[in-house]
Amino acid sequence: MNETLTFLSIAPEVAAATAVVLLLMVEVVWKPRPAVWGVIAGAGLAAAAGLSGWQWAAHRGAEAGTFFNGMIAVDGFAAMAGLLVFPLAGLGLMSAWRLAVSQQRRGAEFVALVMLAAAGAHLMAAAADLIVLFIGLEVFSISLYVLAGFTRERADADEAALKYFLLGAFASAVFLYGVALVFAATGSTTIYGPGGIADYLTGMVIFRPGVLVAGLALLLAGMAFKVTAAPFHLWAPDVYQGAPGGITGFLAASAKVAGFAALARVLTAALGGRADDWVPAVAVLAAVSVVVGTVLAIVQDDVKRLLAYSSVAHAGFILTALVAGRDGIGDMWFYVATYAVQVIGAFTVAAVVSGDSRGRSPLMHYAGLGRRSPWLAAAMTLLLLAMAGIPLTAGFAGKVAVFRVAIDAGYLWLVLVAVLATVAGLYFYLRVIVVMYMSAGGEAAPAVPGPEVGWGARLTLAAAAAVTLVFGFAPWPLLEVLRDALPL
Amino acid sequence: MDFPILSTIVLLPAVGALVVLALPRRRPELVLPVAVALSLLVLGAACWLAASFEVGPGGFQFEEQVTWYEPWGVSYHLGVDGISLLMVLLTALLFPISLVASTSITTRVRGYAASMLFLEAGILGVFVALDLLVFFAFWEVMLVPMYFIIGVWGGERRVYAAVKFFLFTALGSALMLAGILALALLAGDRLGRPTFDFVELLGMDLGRTAQFWLFGAFALSFGIKVPLFPLHTWLPDAHVEAPTAGSVILAGVLLKLGAYGLIRFNLTLFPEASVSLVPVMAVLAVIGILYGAVVAIVQPDIKRLVAYSSVSHLGFVVLGIFALTTQGLQGGVIQMVNHGLTTGALFLLVGMIYERRHTRQIADFGGLGAVMPVFSGTFLFIALASIGLPGLNGFVGEFLVLLGSYLSLPGFAIAATPGVVLAAVYLLWAYQRIFTGPVTLEENRHLPDLGFREVALLLPIVALVLFLGIYPKPALDRVEPAVQGILERIEQATDYQVPQFGEQAEVAVFEVRP
Repeated sequence: MNETLTFLSIAPEVAAATAVVLLLMVEVVWKPRPAVWGVIAGAGLAAAAGLSGWQWAAHRGAEAGTFFNGMIAVDGFAAMAGLLVFPLAGLGLMSAWRLAVSQQRRGAEFVALVMLAAAGAHLMAAAADLIVLFIGLEVFSISLYVLAGFTRERADADEAALKYFLLGAFASAVFLYGVALVFAATGSTTIYGPGGIADYLTGMVIFRPGVLVAGLALLLAGMAFKVTAAPFHLWAPDVYQGAPGGITGFLAASAKVAGFAALARVLTAALGGRADDWVPAVAVLAAVSVVVGTVLAIVQDDVKRLLAYSSVAHAGFILTALVAGRDGIGDMWFYVATYAVQVIGAFTVAAVVSGDSRGRSPLMHYAGLGRRSPWLAAAMTLLLLAMAGIPLTAGFAGKVAVFRVAIDAGYLWLVLVAVLATVAGLYFYLRVIVVMYMSAGGEAAPAVPGPEVGWGARLTLAAAAAVTLVFGFAPWPLLEVLRDALPL
Repeated sequence: MDFPILSTIVLLPAVGALVVLALPRRRPELVLPVAVALSLLVLGAACWLAASFEVGPGGFQFEEQVTWYEPWGVSYHLGVDGISLLMVLLTALLFPISLVASTSITTRVRGYAASMLFLEAGILGVFVALDLLVFFAFWEVMLVPMYFIIGVWGGERRVYAAVKFFLFTALGSALMLAGILALALLAGDRLGRPTFDFVELLGMDLGRTAQFWLFGAFALSFGIKVPLFPLHTWLPDAHVEAPTAGSVILAGVLLKLGAYGLIRFNLTLFPEASVSLVPVMAVLAVIGILYGAVVAIVQPDIKRLVAYSSVSHLGFVVLGIFALTTQGLQGGVIQMVNHGLTTGALFLLVGMIYERRHTRQIADFGGLGAVMPVFSGTFLFIALASIGLPGLNGFVGEFLVLLGSYLSLPGFAIAATPGVVLAAVYLLWAYQRIFTGPVTLEENRHLPDLGFREVALLLPIVALVLFLGIYPKPALDRVEPAVQGILERIEQATDYQVPQFGEQAEVAVFEVRP
């Protein structure tokens, strides 16, 4: 095996980690202006994304392979995760820029943590071994715990971080126990190669699959926690509401990307031989998430809580694609990619409206926003309509993609549950729009100037709106590309 | 390839909306004239389309087709036949009129005009789309501008009405989306590859069970839009709370989308289910006709009265469609146009009186005939057209519907006929209370009569009402091949035989055909 290539297989993580180290050293020695953090972070993320792009170009399909003795997979799947998560980290940083700067010298740590989380997320997607996957999961999660409580002088942020940490640690333990049970059943933690889990499960007939199925269930539960699928979603509303506004979007978006990347690889590649065991479980998980997320979102009076429950529902929509197994991965990517951008955009608006470092974002803050800040309200409307699945937005294309593949896989009942939940979901998305444009107070109230929008938030919103519209009008090129984003 | 006239017609208003949004904020007085000019441009294109439409051959004309995504079988496929041609014309005509009638909108005019133009683009897209996914995209996306039109510029309870409108319609369309996806995948089994293309799907034989389920999914969506009893409850709220132009478009065009969908998709894609479910649809239609009319009689609010009259009139349309006879279907389509013209005009008239008095209660008026002679004359004329006075357009449609349904569903036709009488009751009684007798209230004594602008925007409708009433042949000729095509398709796919009158009887009545 080519030695250079071995290191190039983890090049995106190396690039991001190098930038983190560089940033922290520079910060300690020179205490530079915040702009310097931005330059280093931007360069690191751009390099990581560029290297992922190179991996995409060189290691899709037949060129894919595993490295480091089957620890790291370099394939279209991992490369796509990199192409997604590093730019998302960039968007997250831009939308959180004012928050980072407002933390004075601690801001550099903030920037470093975002990049570290992105590196961990990519490692989760690229892991070809359950232990490496666990390491990626921890790097990613621990960074997020800290980010959630970054404004440590605010008690509700601390509460959010602690809750996230305790429940997250519990979920990680569940996941780890799942790894142990799968190891007990198959004798391996590696996914690919001779003697790997996939090989063992396709080659052997297991007469007493109890241990394996229990392991599978625990793996599924641990991952479902990360992607906020019901009934493992209980932490999400509190954490999203308590976390500082600027970073919530990144918390939500990156967790979806990393979680679904890991879930898809473990289920379809490692446990693909046991699809009959996990597909029904995924279907039920999807249905429960969609229903619970939608119903609970209807009664929320805080936009961040509302978006949290809606993200539970979206986890369900994305899981809907996975009932088709490997065939649904391209559609899953499409939904994950477009939704991640939408959710960052929506939380960016929440941060602008209610304050970057504040947690809560009550609905009344949005009253008359259409009049005060027409552009902000228009962006929010577009993103909400996209999440609701209105045509000519990427959200509609994503929903059609996942519904289509699920019907093809024979899960019509799941799609019916999902479309009905989509309609119910319209209600709460429309509610926000009603408050922004149609609230009675908005007409008579004196012209209060709208909140000030920083350039980072502007760029994030412009990017989110552009992605939502472009892939809403023409999703075809992206769908075509994502057909190659398959795991080994 | 020829000039893509259909794409132009659909895109023109959307581009127009962007133009309107780009107008300078300081010059709100420019917005409506520009929007009207743009919608007149669309009308011009639609007239050109009508002029170059070939009368006689069945099938679709001006087709445009570009494959979009092979694995899904999605293509950008547009085309018109006689039915959609009339709907396109009606839409293109009503939009400039309702934009001219929107001078009372003073807040956020740019957003309003842009919403109207986006709405026009969406509606036109629905009428010309021949790919089911493209159709659905247009179908669903037009809810958004309508929602804003009702919710931002509407009346007292506008938010309630807007959300109710949106949710009701979305509920139906969500199931239709599942149906469309299932249909495309079934086509994958039958034809070897999935396709959303309507023309290709026509060639497919579906199983009986699948037809029933899919018919249900589509009919629920279209039935809510029509609205078919008992799915009509969103309609009075939406119509009453919408601004005048919104009501005109809602009644004039949006309701037609449901009936159009029933004709275009339900009858042809699921012929077996359609034939079997005729009694169900006919019962609902007749209930709608009678119920809508009876409820309209007792409304104290004139706008609500007109709204309920729509339920009744659209019942006739559905009855005509599911009569499954040439006359019934033709009548249904003509009645769609008629209802668009007359009810559109009624909402315009109600809006004009509301702008003067800021009330719509019938009890607040009386004796207006002496104060506003032109207004009351126009109102009477339109009301008579709506009732179906021979010589005006409503008669042609209702008569054909009753004739056609008498052929296949005599019992239902007889049961529906009182609807015509009840229409006379609610409209003429309302006319009597508002316009006849002495002036009852002092503030009504000096109401100004219609101005030049108001007369000008009613004039085209009045002219068309008269024209279609006296000489409906141009419209009927264009609809007929399309209707024949649909009925032939049903006869091929099922053992249903379209009942026929002797040719003599028809010639004697209308001299429609040689």
